[in-house]
Amino acid sequence: MISSFLDAHGYDPGPSQRPLLAGAISGILATVPAVAVLFAFGSLQVEAEILGLSRIATLGVGACVMALAGAAYARFFGRAANSVRGGWLFGMSFGFGLWAAGAVLVLPLLNGGRAPAGTAASGVAASLIVWGLAAGILVPFVHRPLHESIAKASKNTNLGPDAAAANRQPIRHQRQSTTR
Amino acid sequence: MEAFWFLGGKAGLPTIDLVAQLSAVEFHGWPLLGEAAGLAVHFSIGVCWAIFYAFFFWGRFHLRPVLQGLLFAIAPAALAILVVYPELALMRSHSPMLVLDLHRFFAPVTPDTVVSLLLSHALFGVIVGLMYRKPVGYAVGKMPKPPPQRRPNPSRTRRNPNSTAFMFATGIECSYPTIEHGRWRRDEMDCTRHYELWQEDFELAREIGITHIRYGPPLHLIFQGPGRYNWDYVDPQMAELEEFGPEPIIDLCHFGVPSWLGNLQNGDIGRALEEYAGAFAERYPWVRFYTPVNEMYVCARMSALDGLWNEQLRDEGAYARAAWNLANASIRMSDAILKRRGDAVFINSESGEFYQPCCPDDHVQEIADQANARRFLPLDLIFAHPLSKRMHDLLCSQGISKEDIARLGQRKVPKRSILGVDYYEWNERLIDRQGRARALGELFGWYVIASQYWDRYKRPMMHTETNKMDAHGAPRWLWRQWHNLQLLAKSGVPLVGFTWYSLTDQIDWSIALSEPIGMVYPVGLVDLNREARIVGLAYRHLIDLYRDLPEYRECKALKEIIQ
Repeated sequence: MISSFLDAHGYDPGPSQRPLLAGAISGILATVPAVAVLFAFGSLQVEAEILGLSRIATLGVGACVMALAGAAYARFFGRAANSVRGGWLFGMSFGFGLWAAGAVLVLPLLNGGRAPAGTAASGVAASLIVWGLAAGILVPFVHRPLHESIAKASKNTNLGPDAAAANRQPIRHQRQSTTR
Repeated sequence: MEAFWFLGGKAGLPTIDLVAQLSAVEFHGWPLLGEAAGLAVHFSIGVCWAIFYAFFFWGRFHLRPVLQGLLFAIAPAALAILVVYPELALMRSHSPMLVLDLHRFFAPVTPDTVVSLLLSHALFGVIVGLMYRKPVGYAVGKMPKPPPQRRPNPSRTRRNPNSTAFMFATGIECSYPTIEHGRWRRDEMDCTRHYELWQEDFELAREIGITHIRYGPPLHLIFQGPGRYNWDYVDPQMAELEEFGPEPIIDLCHFGVPSWLGNLQNGDIGRALEEYAGAFAERYPWVRFYTPVNEMYVCARMSALDGLWNEQLRDEGAYARAAWNLANASIRMSDAILKRRGDAVFINSESGEFYQPCCPDDHVQEIADQANARRFLPLDLIFAHPLSKRMHDLLCSQGISKEDIARLGQRKVPKRSILGVDYYEWNERLIDRQGRARALGELFGWYVIASQYWDRYKRPMMHTETNKMDAHGAPRWLWRQWHNLQLLAKSGVPLVGFTWYSLTDQIDWSIALSEPIGMVYPVGLVDLNREARIVGLAYRHLIDLYRDLPEYRECKALKEIIQ
C-alpha cells in the first residue's frame, strides 16, 4: 500500500541510478552535524552508557547504522530523495521517523528498557532530525556523479530488440520446459 | 491546532498543548524563547506532514479533499499519542537516563490526552485537506513565470538544418485545456517544470539521440489578443532549438485556446489562429515542420462530447461544431504558414483509434459505427476526403452549409502533408453490451489501425505518439511499436518517423487532465527529476542501432516530401 503511495511520484529508482550507494555515503556524511548535536546536548555519553560501549565505538556503530539508514532512505524514497527542492524535507521527515521508530522504540527494547531522558533525550531527537535534514540535502548531490551515463547504461542488451518478447526464452526452450 | 488548544484551555477542557509540552523541554528559564522554539518545532513537523500528504497520500483515494485530509491525520495522531507525547514527558525528566517498561512509558497518556490529540490532529487533517485541493494548473488569466534566459551551450554539434534523416522523435507534453468551465487552466509545461528546465530538457533529448522534438509553445500565454504577442515564453527555447536541435515539429494548438477566444465552439478561432500561425512563421522562418492543430478529433471529443475540457459539453452537435472549427483553423493556419514559407511540412497528428462492437446487436453496432465515423471527421475535412453520410448530415444539422463542406472537399491539400498516427494501449476500444467504450489493449496493434488511416488518406505517415504507463513494461512496448512501424514500412507505406511521447513523465495523464490532482505518471524517457528512465535507455539503444543505417540516415519518404 505504501509503495502505491510512493508510485505517485515514481518509486522505482532509475536504471542508471545507485540509490543504495548514494544513500549510504550521504548517511555517513550527515552524521557529522548529527554528532555535533549529540555532543552539545551530552547525549553521546548517555547513548554510549546505554549501549555499554566507549564513545568512539558508539560513534563507529552509529556511523554504520546511519549508512544503512541513508541507504534505506534513498531506496525507499526513490525519486523523491533525488529532488533537490524537496529532499531536505523528506530527509528531515525520515529522520523524525527514525527517531520515533529507532531511538524511542528499538533502543530501549534492545537494552533492557534503558532509554535517554531529559536533555539527552532531546539531543537524540534533535540529532536525528539534523541527520535527516543533512542526508536529505546531500543525496541528490552525492547521487549525481554516481550515475551511469545514458550512453553507457543504454548498451545493456536487455534493453535491445529482444525486449519486445514477453518471454525472453527461445520458443524451443519454452516448449521443453512446458513438457517437463 | 494552536487555536484549538488555546480555546480548549480557556474553556477549561483538558486539552493537550503540544507546543507547551515542547517548550517545557528546554529553555526553562526563558519562557518566551521556549514558546517560540516550541512553536517553530511544531510548525516544522506540521510542514513535514503536509509535504508527506501532498507527495505520497493526496489523490490516492477517491474521496473529497477534506476526507482525505482527515484520513491522513490518523498517521500523525497515532505517532503523537504513541511516541511523541510520552517521549516529551521523558525529555522533561531531570535524569539523563531512565529504565522504562511499557506501563511507565505510557503513563502520561490518559483518555483525555488521547481524545485531545485525536481531535487536534483531525483538525489539522481537515485544514490540510481543505487547503491542498488544486496542486497543478492556475486560474485562467494568471501568467506563470516566463522561462529563464538561455545559458551559453558549450556543445559544438550544430543542428543540420537540411537533414532528411528518419525522425527519431519525442515531445514535450504541452497540453493546455481549461477545466472547471473555463476557470482553471491546465498547463503541462508548467507542472512538469519545462518552463524552468527547458534547456536541460533539450540537452537530455540530445543525449538520448533524439533528432526531432514535437514542441508546443504555449498558445494561451503567447497570443494575448489580436496583434498582441508575448514571445518571452518561447524565444529562448527557439534560439536553442535552432542552433543545436533537436529539430522542432512546432505544435501550434494543443487542446486549448487563449481565454479571450472562449472555447472551441467559437467560429472565430480559425481566423485568430490563422493570424497566430502567420506571426509565428514570420518570427521563426527557419522552422520546417508544423502541426497546426494537434489531435483535432481528441480535442473536439474531450471538449464537446465527453465534457472534460474547454466548453465541457456532452453533445454530438457540439462535437461536430468543434471538429469543424478546429479543422478550419488547421487549414487556415497551414495556408498562413505556406505564405511565409512555401516549403513548410505539415505533420497532422491524430489519435489512431478503432471501435469494435462486442456482439451482433444493432444498437451496439450503431454506436461503434458512429464512433468509427466520428474519429475520421477532422482528418476527412483537412485532407479533402469525402465525408461519411452520417458526418455530412451531422455538420449540416449544425448549420454548416453544404457549399462550405463542398469547398473543403475540393480544396487542394498541401503536398507536403504527413499523417501522424498516435497510438496508446487504450486506442482500440470495445463497445460493450451497454454501449460503453472499453479499452481493449493492443488487440490489432498500430500496424492494423495505422493501415486503416493509410488506406483512407494515402499520405506519408509518422508514428507521432506512444508511451506506456507501466515504466518497467515500457521498453517492451517501445520495441513492439517499433516492429509495427517496420512492418508497415515493409508493406510499402512511406514512413518518416517514430515518436516516444513524451520526454518527461506527465501529470494526471490517466485522467486526461480532467481534474487538477497532480499525480505523476511514469511515461517519460526521463522522470521529473530529469533522471533517465529505463525506456529512455532503451530508446537510445534503438536509435544507436538504426540511425546510421543508410535507409535511416537518409529517409527516402522524407526526402521526397521535402524535395
